[in-house]
Amino acid sequence: MTMIPSMTSSFPMAPKPFFLLSFFLLFLLLPISSLPSTLNLWPQPTSISWSTPAAIPLSPYFSIQPHFSSHIYLHRATIRYTRLILSERHRPIIPPVINLSNSSLSSLHLSISDLSAPLQPGVDESYSLYISTSGATLTAATPWGAMRGLETFSQLVWGHQPVVPIGLRIFDKPLFTHRGLLLDTSRNFYSVRSIFRTIRAMSYNKMNVFHWHITDSQSFPIVLPSEPELAAKGSYGSGMSYSTRDVKRIIQYGLSHGVRVVPEIDMPGHTASWAEAYPEIVTCANRFWAPTGKPALAAEPGAGELNPLHAKTYQVVQNVLHDLSTLFLDQYLHAGADEVNTACWETDPAVTHFISAGGTHDQILEKFINLTHPYITDTLNRTVVYWEDVLLGPYVKVRPATLPTESTILQTWNNRAKNTKRIVQAGYQVIVSSSDFYYLDCGHGGWVGNDSRYDVQEAEPSDELFNDPGGNGGSWCAPYKSWQRVYNYDILYNLTEEEAKRVLGGEVALWSEQADETVLDAKLWPRTSAAAEVLWSGNRDSDGIKRYAEATDRLNEWRYRMVRRGIQAEPIQPLWCVLNPGMCNLEQ
Amino acid sequence: MAPKPFFLLSFFLLFLLLPISSLPSRLNLWPQPTSISWSTPAAIPLSPYFSIQPHFSSHIYLHRAITRYTRLILSERHRPIIPPVVNLSNSSLSSLHLSISDLSAPLQPGVDESYSLYISTSGSTLTAATPWGAMRGLETFSQLVWGHQPVVPIGLRIFDKPLFTHRGLLLDTSRNFYSVRSIFRTIRAMSYNKMNVFHWHITDSQSFPIVLPSEPELAAKGSYGSGMSYSTRDVKRIIQYGLSHGVRVVPEIDMPGHTASWAEAYPEIVTCANRFWAPTGKPALAAEPGAGELNPLHAKTYQVVQNVLHDLSTLFLDQYLHAGADEVNTACWETDPAVTHFISAGGTHDQILEKFINLTHPYITDTLNRTVVYWEDVLLGPYVKVRPATLPTESTILQTWNNRAKNTKRIVQAGYQVIVSSSDFYYLDCGHGGWVGNDSRYDVQEAESSDELFNDPGGNGGSWCAPYKSWQRVYNYDILYNLTEEEAKRVLGGEVALWSEQADETVLDAKLWPRTSAAAEVLWSGNRDSDGIKRYAEATDRLNEWRYRMVRRGIQAEPIQPLWCVLNPGMCNLEQ
Repeated sequence: MTMIPSMTSSFPMAPKPFFLLSFFLLFLLLPISSLPSTLNLWPQPTSISWSTPAAIPLSPYFSIQPHFSSHIYLHRATIRYTRLILSERHRPIIPPVINLSNSSLSSLHLSISDLSAPLQPGVDESYSLYISTSGATLTAATPWGAMRGLETFSQLVWGHQPVVPIGLRIFDKPLFTHRGLLLDTSRNFYSVRSIFRTIRAMSYNKMNVFHWHITDSQSFPIVLPSEPELAAKGSYGSGMSYSTRDVKRIIQYGLSHGVRVVPEIDMPGHTASWAEAYPEIVTCANRFWAPTGKPALAAEPGAGELNPLHAKTYQVVQNVLHDLSTLFLDQYLHAGADEVNTACWETDPAVTHFISAGGTHDQILEKFINLTHPYITDTLNRTVVYWEDVLLGPYVKVRPATLPTESTILQTWNNRAKNTKRIVQAGYQVIVSSSDFYYLDCGHGGWVGNDSRYDVQEAEPSDELFNDPGGNGGSWCAPYKSWQRVYNYDILYNLTEEEAKRVLGGEVALWSEQADETVLDAKLWPRTSAAAEVLWSGNRDSDGIKRYAEATDRLNEWRYRMVRRGIQAEPIQPLWCVLNPGMCNLEQ
Repeated sequence: MAPKPFFLLSFFLLFLLLPISSLPSRLNLWPQPTSISWSTPAAIPLSPYFSIQPHFSSHIYLHRAITRYTRLILSERHRPIIPPVVNLSNSSLSSLHLSISDLSAPLQPGVDESYSLYISTSGSTLTAATPWGAMRGLETFSQLVWGHQPVVPIGLRIFDKPLFTHRGLLLDTSRNFYSVRSIFRTIRAMSYNKMNVFHWHITDSQSFPIVLPSEPELAAKGSYGSGMSYSTRDVKRIIQYGLSHGVRVVPEIDMPGHTASWAEAYPEIVTCANRFWAPTGKPALAAEPGAGELNPLHAKTYQVVQNVLHDLSTLFLDQYLHAGADEVNTACWETDPAVTHFISAGGTHDQILEKFINLTHPYITDTLNRTVVYWEDVLLGPYVKVRPATLPTESTILQTWNNRAKNTKRIVQAGYQVIVSSSDFYYLDCGHGGWVGNDSRYDVQEAESSDELFNDPGGNGGSWCAPYKSWQRVYNYDILYNLTEEEAKRVLGGEVALWSEQADETVLDAKLWPRTSAAAEVLWSGNRDSDGIKRYAEATDRLNEWRYRMVRRGIQAEPIQPLWCVLNPGMCNLEQ
């Protein structure tokens, strides 16, 4: 059935304007270039074929069948996508010109081979989708693959009266099993609502790991049943902490969107906030971070580290880890271990005594790891994720024997491909978060106060660039990582095939010194989309050529669609560029 | 009597569990007033029937401001991050009395914005020379109020007036579109920061979003679409909204460069329109994608331009009319046979520009009776420029954006009044990477060599004016740097600028605030304390509080530090 009688027999005649075109022209008065019809999907599927540019209207009674009422998360996803599909009324900036079928599509049939597959590392997320005049089928191995396919189906729908392409076949599966986003909720607080929105946006982009960097030196926002004082005294306040109920809701929300929630409690460094409840287990807490003429006590303001030589440290840490494993379901538990600062430790007499007796800082860290790692892996039955620093230093590190490769994953953030290679060569699985490509907070100037370096009126000499071009403006990891920079990172660069197998995937990261929920969406999107596509289907076309030029147009459309879906994603170009594809390229 | 805890303290403690440092009580005002005295830390509750008297019903803009501030004062219930500890008076304040000497003063360049404010147990008075100064004082009063049950400090005297008469914000609504609603919000935020000029860069090469009665085709064909243009009614509402907030609206139609969008309606008057901006092996046709310039050698150009300027002067009330004139590109002009003929006959590009200025400048000044504002390029080049004699100093203001203080000095030495928008300090779009597509420069996996830095530290990441201008950079700019006292008199003030290639209303607030607040304070009362020392350290704490207050007022301003820094003043400094 179709609403427009004059269009009743348009398939398979010569292409004529899509019946909604006049509606779009009202919206966009600039001339529409007559481009070959393209489907704007993000991330681009692994394999797609669309024989002729034809589409079919969705029946107003369109449904996804069956409902899988027995699987609460999949059931929620089918309800959500049914609603989205029927209500989104997506208006492409450049609408495809297609033939319209005179029948209509009344359902999408879902077929899942293993409904019981849990959402866990490495779960099969493949799916295939087939849409024809006679019906649409989505086949997936698991509910989580089905959710990816439902997202793809939803992106295929457009129009005030919704239509989907027909004659379409998609086979799709991710290149990497770990496609994540790190959010730091310690430097500044994020409401549960904004975390929900972020997880929702991740599912739009087929991402599957929300790496929740919950605590740090600045605040301890999670309420833990065995250690309630940590949040009671260490959070920013009662409206700014996550209750057990909040955490459960976030995990449930993640499951309904096929997104794992991996918690991180950073330790033994980055723990000044613990001192509000337990000053005795934290060294150098509440000291000024950068004492004049002495080594800094931390990488940034907010100094304080757990004291591995204090017995009570382990009592608190074990309670924290235990609660964490009770609250969070995921196989992974991230325990931080980055940027341990020796000067901070050395403010403690026990530490200086240990060192003067011939001990080393590495031994102190090793003691901490030895007393916590086995607890996490053996008692709590989790795989530990640490930042690479624990193995690679440069200042404090442990011997590889301390970190069993079978139960330890390392997350790299320094030295690009070099550290990735060092980690996999040492036998570890790795998650890639290169700060040179994947740190979304970079290039935003400095945030430390009372900083005279900005007070320069004249041009700076070339060897002292700070504010002028060539200077970092106060940001250690400047310049800003634009979507094109994110998109072009090859996380397997310079690895052998064997080494590449140990790369689980990647995570972009938003450290929140200069961010909170007022600016969250703009910081994350669409740059996180860039990583999402690369981790799902790569950054090359079928000829092996980097596809950043083609991706520009597609990402423009996707950004506008995300905005309509309630994600305040940033524009990547003037709208003129979207309306005039290719005209805003560097090279024609 | 001895200070006792403020009665709302327990309420705040519920909100913030971290220990409150016992700091000397201070008032967080932004921008900091010129002169403030507060004898003892004491405050008085506002009566629930608090009102501002008289209502000035005869002055519609002031009346609206009074209504707005009365509502804000009674409903805001501001919670300072670090609440002041004060003695609380047991009486209450029932009104603020307003006294204005010249109610008829129009909102125009140089209008007196001074005010004085006195609050005591026996009453409070706000005295101002003009309604616009009164609005500044009302804003100050609103910032003095805090608490679930609102209180204001007593024993307080403020005398305040701006250092510069021109305190502006430029918004580019051509590269991407902004709704009227988001422009309203921006003007509102400007008034919170005592800014007084909304420089509306309405058109550019990418779109022509303003519907002009005599030239409706320009927007009909050159805007991004019918939902993305400004009707006459929209423009009037924006101007009215500005007046109600003491903010002038200065329109800019950029020309003769930056005009590709005009070609949708009038292809014959635009050179190089719709050509690819950066042809291989040839000079670029524009500074960025979207090439096209008005052709000064085509007669019809002036017919359209005069209609545009005429409509602009009819729609907009302000004394200033900004006519652009930046970044004229000679390669784009030379795609036109008339231009190449003119050049080959011995003419110069400067002469072509001069012809354009000669045929438009007098029309704006003499016929339309406006002061013209141009970008500095028209005088300083570097590529195309006119002779100073073409630009009468009494009717021309130049806006500088290059070479920091150097160009400011060149302009004032040439006798012109100047508005400062140094891209090194005041361009809010800088440092956000590049936006041009199909750009292989990002595809670098290895560390870059030190002489080819692009993505690595030291590279600009694709942004010509990187690095990002943080609030501290904005705050520390001395726009009078290296000028004599006489030269300084010709500096009207400054404008921060948001060019919108990578911005639209989804990200507007975060791009503007609180960095624009930094400029707003410097242009109002400077960046130095009473000892003449730069006050950026003290300003950090005050700006933190102000940012949170703006957020509560509906402006999605960016945080400048972790909340921990606000709760632990001084601990996040570079030097103790």
